[in-house]
Amino acid sequence: MFSKLAWRNVRRSFRDYGVYLLTLTFGVCLFYTFNSVEGQGAMVYLARNGNPMVEPILMLIDIFSVFVAVVLACLILYANRFLLRRRKRELGTYLLLGMSQGQVSRLLFLETGLVGLVSLVVGLGLGVVASQGLSAWTLSLFEVDVSGLLGLSFSLKAAGKTVVYFGLIFLLVMVFSGLEVSRAKLIDLIQGERKNEVLRQRSLTVAAVQFVLGAVCLGAAYAILLTVGMAIAVAVLPICIPMLALGTLGTLLIFRSLSGFVMKFVQNRPKLYFRNLNLFTLRQWLSKVHTTYLSQTVVCILLLLAIGITASCVGLNQTLENAANENTSFDITIQNQSADVAGTVDFDALLAEHGVSAEELEWQKDTIFYYNDPAVTGIEDARGAVKVSDLDELRLRAGLPAYSGVLPAVLDQEEIPLTGRLGMTCLVIPDEMAGELEVRRQVWSADYAGDKEQVEAKILAAVEEGQEDYSLFADSRLMRYSDIMGNKILALFLGLYLGFTFLLAAAAVLALQQLSQAADNAGRYAVLRRLGAEEKLVRRSATQQVALAFLLPLVLAVIHSAVGMKAANDLIATAGKVDSVGSSLAAAALLLAVYGGYFLATALACRRMASRG
Amino acid sequence: MEEILTVRELTRVYGKGGGVTRALDGVSLSLQPGEYVAVMGPSGSGKTTLLNCISTIDRPTAGSIVIDGQELTRLRGRALAKFRRERLGFIFQDCNLLDTLTAFENIALALSIVHAPAGGIEKRVKDTAQLLGISDCLNKYPYQMSGGQQQRCAAARAIITKPALVLADEPTGALDSRSARMLLDRLEELNRDLGTTILMVTHDAFTASCCRRVVFLQDGQIFQELRRGEEDRRNFFQKIIQVVTRMGGEMADVL
Repeated sequence: MFSKLAWRNVRRSFRDYGVYLLTLTFGVCLFYTFNSVEGQGAMVYLARNGNPMVEPILMLIDIFSVFVAVVLACLILYANRFLLRRRKRELGTYLLLGMSQGQVSRLLFLETGLVGLVSLVVGLGLGVVASQGLSAWTLSLFEVDVSGLLGLSFSLKAAGKTVVYFGLIFLLVMVFSGLEVSRAKLIDLIQGERKNEVLRQRSLTVAAVQFVLGAVCLGAAYAILLTVGMAIAVAVLPICIPMLALGTLGTLLIFRSLSGFVMKFVQNRPKLYFRNLNLFTLRQWLSKVHTTYLSQTVVCILLLLAIGITASCVGLNQTLENAANENTSFDITIQNQSADVAGTVDFDALLAEHGVSAEELEWQKDTIFYYNDPAVTGIEDARGAVKVSDLDELRLRAGLPAYSGVLPAVLDQEEIPLTGRLGMTCLVIPDEMAGELEVRRQVWSADYAGDKEQVEAKILAAVEEGQEDYSLFADSRLMRYSDIMGNKILALFLGLYLGFTFLLAAAAVLALQQLSQAADNAGRYAVLRRLGAEEKLVRRSATQQVALAFLLPLVLAVIHSAVGMKAANDLIATAGKVDSVGSSLAAAALLLAVYGGYFLATALACRRMASRG
Repeated sequence: MEEILTVRELTRVYGKGGGVTRALDGVSLSLQPGEYVAVMGPSGSGKTTLLNCISTIDRPTAGSIVIDGQELTRLRGRALAKFRRERLGFIFQDCNLLDTLTAFENIALALSIVHAPAGGIEKRVKDTAQLLGISDCLNKYPYQMSGGQQQRCAAARAIITKPALVLADEPTGALDSRSARMLLDRLEELNRDLGTTILMVTHDAFTASCCRRVVFLQDGQIFQELRRGEEDRRNFFQKIIQVVTRMGGEMADVL
């Protein structure tokens, strides 16, 4: 009997539960997707190559999952309280009909369980699809052929973890709703809908002063960030805390005063004020300020975090990718730094010993670098030297034109193609001058033929053995690539995970608030309709109210993050070049998809509620 | 003089098959411009249904309603909303002011809805507020005003668009007697000085006695009509009570 009632309640209040269910499902989906990265193609690829980043990535995802779970738990509790408040009267009726508070609690218990179960199942299903998508996308970032890694997979471990975490959250929700019911008085429940927000008229001067003060606070926070730079502003607490406090206070003040400010502004323009239902829409906005300015501030900060994190992680990704392509002229370069004391290595013999046949190398070149002797070369400030014929051979292979300057001359690092870094200033000298110089370093470079990974494994084994007699350092494209990939994936995964979580939280808070207000507004729309207001205008007013609630925090968050990203880019730019357009676009696209989706769903629901009459 | 409202053989049937209720059963009624008419009757007599049909909120099963030369039963959708906002004014029992708007804005909104030119709105609102004696509470919110002030504000909202017909549904129903008296005085002034045509539904004999004519409804049919003529309010009130007594015990609650 209880389960029947619970089931009917959930189905009946589907409209109210809709956003709740959507948010839960998204939450579950998000949680599963990022916890199942271990089995996803990119991670399998990294693990197979023994990448050292695999462990840290998984560990960080684990740690952040706890944090994400806490954020989601707060969101779900908030949403649940919202729903309960909407249903006060219904709960009061149950009590009035003679149900005990324990029974009502049990009813809510069942309902929460039911909603939880549905969202878990649907969310996990979506999660499997989403993790497949994420897998395909991250694999597409690898420029090597990894198509064999893309297969449908279901991570039991991730699913189990999701069930445990969300099970705990639902349990918490059940306990809270039970408490709420047992604490409530019948009279409050029955009259719950009659309580109105107290409206207060505030003067223009107060609003104006608050607005200016808010703008000043924000300006100060921006100035701090831009002058001292991101690194110091975040790391040094005496600077960080005032900056964040000023930023938050500024945002708060602006949200608190903006509607009053705009109201007065519009009131002085009768053409705008008396046009259509503008007056009603504005008053609706103003009347909600006391209850919404705090949540708008929170939403703005959540959005800022989402935009900032997503944009920085995408920006970092670009920077890393650029770094991956630097100094990788050949498949491998092995430097023998002990050539001066231990002599040169016979690479042909060493490699042959380890089963590397000549056919497996498409090209190879052994280059000797000499000590610079100013008495011979006539140039003081260089520590090494290389023959022009050797240099040209390397340059030709790397697709660079032959050296055409005077001899001897100091070379820039980029003028000597290698994989890895030489780490010394070098001269280019005529071939005949080499006979008078001492050997300093042996540098062997090669390009592979055939299966690159197999060849490299054999070469590296040979290098390891050579280490016993010589000081050998190997640097290869694959090693570079794998390193960079690890960092890239870490930045992307964590960035997207957190970005999505914050975005989801922000959008869901707004959606719930707007839907609940739309239900309160039903009576007001009925009055408008009775006065003969056109349907079109009533619906437009409803949409405008939702748009105001969604757009304002977004606008302020975009301004904040523009400033923040300027500072962040300056920081990242010290490590490499940043493609800020690309990262901004990626952040914008992500934002539009999730936030826009929530906005549309909310606006449509509110319009429907407005036109239901 | 051409009639402003003509109701002919109006019938409204609720329900289907065996359980049919005839809320209105062939009611005919007409109002001249500038008339001030009350419809009285016990609960269930069909007076609210009559008002709902005239105010285009409900549709009659049969019969015709003509307001200002326009046959209402033929209007649909947008045209109906347009007619409602331009030709009719409403005063409800629960006054229906928007709680988020000030009194001024509540009245001005009615003009915004009919797309009145923005320049003249402020002056029109202030003039109308003056007429109804609420000039000093224009900047207050509904919850800051007394019930009587709220109802006069609703009345101002109803007449500011200069409608052909003002419809009032139990306007004094939620007011104490002093506020009710004040509202009725104002409505009487509007009728007398501006020639506003008012049709009011009430079950209160005192309220009805302020009108120039009273129509009694019972079981969906017109029972009797009384005209005030040159009589004073007190005598008219006595006559109304006599009719009410004749209509039967159901109206024992009128006093």
